[in-house]
Amino acid sequence: MLSKLLFKNQDKKQLIIAMIGSFMGITFLITSIHYLIKVNEFGEGADILGPNTIIVQKKVTTSSSLNLAKTDFSLQEIELLKKEKFIIDVKPVISNNFDVSFATADPLVPKFSSDVFIQTVDPDFMDVNTSEWKWSRKDTIVPMILPRDFLVMLNTFMSAQGIPQISDELAKDIKFKFRISNETSEKEYIYCKIIGFTNEVASILVPESFMKYGNDKYGNLTEQKITQLMISGTESEFGLVEEMLKERHLESKNSQMVVGRLKSMVGTLILVVLGISIIAVFVSGLVLIQYAQLLMSRNSYEVRTLLRMGYSPKKIINKFFFYFIKIFGWISLIGFGMFFVFKYFLDAMFEEGGLYIGTDMTLFSIYALLFAYLIFGIASFMNAKKGIYKEF
Amino acid sequence: MNINFKNIMPKPLESIQHSSESIWGREILLEQRKKIMLNASSGKGKSTFTNTIFGLRKDYTGQLLYDNRDTKTFSPEEWISIRKEKISVVFQDLQLFNNLSVKENLQIKNNLCSVYSDSEMKSFLEMLEIDNKWEQKCGLLSMGQQQRVAIVRSLCQPFEWLILDEPFSHLDKENSQRSLKLINERCKQLNAGFVLTTLGDDCDFSYDHELKL
Repeated sequence: MLSKLLFKNQDKKQLIIAMIGSFMGITFLITSIHYLIKVNEFGEGADILGPNTIIVQKKVTTSSSLNLAKTDFSLQEIELLKKEKFIIDVKPVISNNFDVSFATADPLVPKFSSDVFIQTVDPDFMDVNTSEWKWSRKDTIVPMILPRDFLVMLNTFMSAQGIPQISDELAKDIKFKFRISNETSEKEYIYCKIIGFTNEVASILVPESFMKYGNDKYGNLTEQKITQLMISGTESEFGLVEEMLKERHLESKNSQMVVGRLKSMVGTLILVVLGISIIAVFVSGLVLIQYAQLLMSRNSYEVRTLLRMGYSPKKIINKFFFYFIKIFGWISLIGFGMFFVFKYFLDAMFEEGGLYIGTDMTLFSIYALLFAYLIFGIASFMNAKKGIYKEF
Repeated sequence: MNINFKNIMPKPLESIQHSSESIWGREILLEQRKKIMLNASSGKGKSTFTNTIFGLRKDYTGQLLYDNRDTKTFSPEEWISIRKEKISVVFQDLQLFNNLSVKENLQIKNNLCSVYSDSEMKSFLEMLEIDNKWEQKCGLLSMGQQQRVAIVRSLCQPFEWLILDEPFSHLDKENSQRSLKLINERCKQLNAGFVLTTLGDDCDFSYDHELKL
């Protein structure tokens, strides 16, 4: 009966407008948060390098070829790069200062051997299982990450030998060995195993400890130069990283730049949509709150009389609070349903455009919805409390 | 519950010259279970008296004490409890819900303490000869009928005091008598007192004492 008394006298048109506004805001909020996360996740796991990470080197010019310009980085240059606001971290890529050759060591695979170039990067920049990515002097097998092009070359060799080509997974089961040596004919054989592949690095990657061991024991005495750096940039600011590379005459592998640029661009666009959605949810929430105020003011006689009859303010506050919480709950539920409709079409659109983003649900969009609901609930309660006690 | 008016002077009435018998500015004790008639002409503060005693107005000097407790110290929750169980009022403007039926107007009050069944409430209306209006919206009733509904509504709760602010102003003598009889029976049943404010008509009823404004 209280509901009949308090909610019969209302302007439904205004309520419906406020509800449509909230519904649109909620739908866009969930959708934009979901796709912002998905676009940021795009590319993760496809390579061993972490997200927004690139390897840079100085541009090789005619003068550098003639030894007139340096192609290595000084410590001062590295420190300067670290000071840039949009750069999270910079670490040198360390190369071998000793001779390495790489050969198959499996009776089931034909003999193949080649001199190779190995490098190591800080594990913080890599997206690998850290329990696998380690080596100590006691270990008999060195984990390594192979450039995918190297596997293509290996397969070409297999094919020429009339042996079936090997997949990524099969390659991980084949035994290989390194021969590490120096100019004084000291040498050592160590078994190695592929634990992953990379499209971004042109050399075989090994753990830092193995590189240190090789360089300490077999390295020649000349000072090692840093010619490549790993740089990780902040999200959505890849444009600034790119600009900085141009200014400092640095270059990076094109594909790394394209992915970074694409993510930065789409991420910025979605951030704009997210901003608009947050404003929309805020404004529509405000409209609903204002509508609640209007409703309480229209029913001020009823509220006042109920209080005079002995109805507890808490009971009347709860009536208004639960009424609007229920409305916002329905709006959220319908908005959530609409998000799935949008998702169905948007996922298909992204896939057609070659952007294979994950199709599973992101928890953050649900958290955002719950957060919006919580904020509305608190605002609604405070509003009802203020309105009812005013009539006391 | 004893109600003590300790030198109360409502601010809007400060400029008016009050007689020596007036309750304003004097110490008056409303003893529990007493039947009191408050007699005054228009503009002397009958409704102010009702609103002050019910905690709706606090713009006065002096003290209003319920069992020696100053009502200005009461919390909203205490007032709610008093309005629900200790004091019932028939306001001069009745304060009914015009969009609700007579039945709903009575039920909304009765639901707070579940004092009567629907049939009991209907029997009260029958005593006042408006039981045929049970399903009718209050806004469609005459003033006299509305007054009778408001009186029945005021009885649908436990109370120690019943304050009636000119409750018979639109009733003929017969209906006033019937209403007063019903009020008196209910007060007896609850061992409660009541204050009836009038413009001078004693409705042929014997009161314990009379107050003037």
